[in-house]
Amino acid sequence: MVDLEKLKNVAKDTVSREDVKYLIGWRQGTYGFRVSPLFMTEPEDADKLIFSPLCVNNLATYLTLAEKLPVPRGAEPDTRKVALMVKGCDSRAVVQQLIEKGIERESVLVIGCPCQGVLDLEKVEEKFPGIHSPVDVQWGDDKFIINLPDGPQEVPREELLAKKCLNCRYPNPVMSDVMLWEEVEAWGNGEYADVKELEEKDSQARWSFWQDKFESCIRCYACRNACPMCYCEDCVLDRLNPQWIYRSNNISENTVFHLARAFHLVGRCIECGECERVCPMGLPLMTLNRKLVKEVRDKYDFEPGLDPESKPFQSSYRPDDQEDFIL
Amino acid sequence: MNNKPKIGVYVCHCGINIAKTVDVEAVSEFASRLPNVKVARNYSYMCSDPGQLLIREDIKNEGLNRVVVASCSPRMHEMTFRKTLAETGLNPYYLEMANIREHCSWVHEDREEATEKAKKLVFSAVAKARLLEPLYENEVEVEPATLVIGGGIAGIQAALDIADAGFKVYLVEKTPSVGGRMSQLDKTFPTLDCSACILTPKMVDVASHPNIELLAYSEVEEISGYVGNFEVKVRKKARYVDVNKCTGCGVCSEECRLAGRIPSEFNAGMGNRAAIYLPFPQAVPAKYTIDPERCLMLTRGKCGKGPKCEAACAAGAIDFNQKDEIVECKVGAIIVATGFDVFDAAKKPEYGYNDYDNVITALELERLVSASGPTGGNIVLGKGEDAFVPQEVAFISCVGSRDKSVGNEYCSRVCCMYTAKLAHLVKEKLPEANVRVYYMDVRAFGKGFEEFYDRVRREGVRYIRGNPSEIFKRGDKLVIKAEDTLRSTPIEDEVDLVVLAVGLEPRRDARQIIDLLRLSQSADRFYLEAHPKLAPVNTATDGVFLAGCSQGPKDIPDTVAQAKGAASSALVLLSSGKVKIGAQISFVNEATCRGCGYCVEICPYGAIELVTVNRMGNMVQVARVNEALCKGCGACSAGCLSGSIQQKSFMDRQILPQIAVLGGVK
Repeated sequence: MVDLEKLKNVAKDTVSREDVKYLIGWRQGTYGFRVSPLFMTEPEDADKLIFSPLCVNNLATYLTLAEKLPVPRGAEPDTRKVALMVKGCDSRAVVQQLIEKGIERESVLVIGCPCQGVLDLEKVEEKFPGIHSPVDVQWGDDKFIINLPDGPQEVPREELLAKKCLNCRYPNPVMSDVMLWEEVEAWGNGEYADVKELEEKDSQARWSFWQDKFESCIRCYACRNACPMCYCEDCVLDRLNPQWIYRSNNISENTVFHLARAFHLVGRCIECGECERVCPMGLPLMTLNRKLVKEVRDKYDFEPGLDPESKPFQSSYRPDDQEDFIL
Repeated sequence: MNNKPKIGVYVCHCGINIAKTVDVEAVSEFASRLPNVKVARNYSYMCSDPGQLLIREDIKNEGLNRVVVASCSPRMHEMTFRKTLAETGLNPYYLEMANIREHCSWVHEDREEATEKAKKLVFSAVAKARLLEPLYENEVEVEPATLVIGGGIAGIQAALDIADAGFKVYLVEKTPSVGGRMSQLDKTFPTLDCSACILTPKMVDVASHPNIELLAYSEVEEISGYVGNFEVKVRKKARYVDVNKCTGCGVCSEECRLAGRIPSEFNAGMGNRAAIYLPFPQAVPAKYTIDPERCLMLTRGKCGKGPKCEAACAAGAIDFNQKDEIVECKVGAIIVATGFDVFDAAKKPEYGYNDYDNVITALELERLVSASGPTGGNIVLGKGEDAFVPQEVAFISCVGSRDKSVGNEYCSRVCCMYTAKLAHLVKEKLPEANVRVYYMDVRAFGKGFEEFYDRVRREGVRYIRGNPSEIFKRGDKLVIKAEDTLRSTPIEDEVDLVVLAVGLEPRRDARQIIDLLRLSQSADRFYLEAHPKLAPVNTATDGVFLAGCSQGPKDIPDTVAQAKGAASSALVLLSSGKVKIGAQISFVNEATCRGCGYCVEICPYGAIELVTVNRMGNMVQVARVNEALCKGCGACSAGCLSGSIQQKSFMDRQILPQIAVLGGVK
């Protein structure tokens, strides 16, 4: 069970350490069900930390997003660690970043928070609309306890669980330096109903399904920016020479953008669902990613973000790899 | 120089190879109207002297600074035309080829469509030619030494040739003695020379040659570096015998408690040896070796009241504490001559090799007829009271060759002739015996082969065309069930001895060398040469050459010829002392590289490593290409997520316009 006291104590101790730059955790947001990241540098900020079904966002994105500032001549680069609170899915992002050498093991301190599944923010806001003051939510037995301004409400877990959590197989951090509380039992079986449903349609139907979705994309790049695995300093899709995709927002360029992003995530997507969560147009981007996750798992028996010592999927080869799809 | 592209396009007829299917006139007319094209011509043979002169004249007179040749595959003539450009002082990498032969005229029939395709291919090449950049080749020094892996006849011959030319050779042999498969043979076809008599002088030469360092009972463990500069680690396995003290007297072997109880590899299991042994009498070096997998002392830590070999050795050469030793050497070239394994006859259960003692392989018969073999050259089967001399002898050819059911589609090239030779030897030693050969075809293609085959038939060996379907036992006899396909009659043939003419297979440990040297295999699983006709001893890895049966089945003359070819190829490298490294290699944009290391894993040549660089005061990792190792395959570039590693002449911004015009985008 969530032990907030322990979380706060660990956080205080952590930021007091000389070799820690800051701690990234979650705090209550300014309205409704929203939370925001807390970049904690002082021990007294510990009281702001929370861990609840509201902590949807994957904070691992901030590890690679942090800019490496130029170091003045004569000065030493800041090599202090960044402490990071992670759920199970978030921890896989950290592991995958380690596999890809996006971060170094000694530069990160992972604080593991076993998780019982977070809220689908859209559903909960739909169920309880028009709430402006911050709301506290807790896990109960197979239910969420939602402390609305006019008193607590209990909602069955299945009703409000986020899509990515419905079939979660890794609720416990797969890697951590500190584990805050007892691990929970995984409930998922790794089957993707949305992918299966789409796979059963013919290619024409699938194509029009996606064309319909990509048509509405506004190319804000929120999906790319929120993705913990999208962290090239100079994204190949931003370049002008050669210009792989044009700036214009049309169905052709949008399709190329989403397919290119999906293919760049093959064997790397750890299914945290951030791209889909942040999409202002509600594109089912995880369906695309999950399809590729499934292909990689079925064909090559490979899952990213589990073992920091493993080789990256796209650059590993076994003589018995399937290749029947090559014409 | 004004670098505004001025392109010359040259469309080749290739006699009628291209002109028959493609309207070359129309293609050059089309090309002349493309942007930046100054001249466009067509000519019967662009690769001929007058053809090249055409290009040179235009470069001089028209001031061309880019050349597009539309002809055959760049595999054929890219080097030719690069030289043409270089002769005029133009950078040779301002050349782009459009392959309108292999990619067009040879694979199409419709002249109109083929012409349209040729136009597109030329347009595409022109689109890229505009964006070409000059490239420069580098040179590296060559270490004047060679590593030869494998001490069979191929390795021996290659080592001797290189050593005689005055260069250092490290000859590594896995087993305790050089000699290889040839040393196991009795006579050689078609001349019937005694195999050992012609081989042993060369074995002795190898051991005594001042330029050859013989590393017998050793294995290559690690190879790094690149053409001209390989660094090699060889594991000299412990013999548990001090070779400096061992006189080769053999008393130890006689005294060994296991003497005569371990199947002898040299005798193909037909005879036995001791745990301390010399593989065969003429072994080089003539030093004894203790088999670490059999010796009681080494496996159990005790041998009776004390090892008898140690007590018997007057020289005090036995040393159970000996350890493996690592020898390091630097070489400029490597010759792989690792040989073959014979087909495992047990994979053809219908021939009963595992079930009946009187079904043997040709290599086993070879040891029986050999004077140095377990029976002193007498064809006697069985032991003691069961010993008998066969009267009815049958050979079955193509066992494990030309046989899809066992995965070997190829012809092993030697079985027809060694079968004839062995049939002859059986007739010679047992004149009363009836010898017949069951065959599919007889392939007697070499010098003196057909004559020898004729001679053997005249000596009374019967050739029956038909592959036996089954061998079973009836009383004392083996019965061969077959069909004589020339007479269309079924046969049941009762014989005393069946000899299976087993084929040649890649060594079962072939993978080791592949991993060490990043070699490729052809479909038959033998090592793949760079070009089957024009670079038969080269491999895809520069500075690594193939000799002998590791590349494919061969008889002794072919093996020796190829070994000499490999030696000569290595000598070209060594004697020139310098090697050019390619210009079309990868390079890294260190500013955008994020150091993920995908390219490092992907590179089949081990040419990329991660290095730490200072990026505005922060130490970050980026990829770096070893230019001497890079072969320009482009795998890294395809695998890079951020597009930070690119291949010169094949950069994204050069290829994309090329693709764009193919798709009709102007």
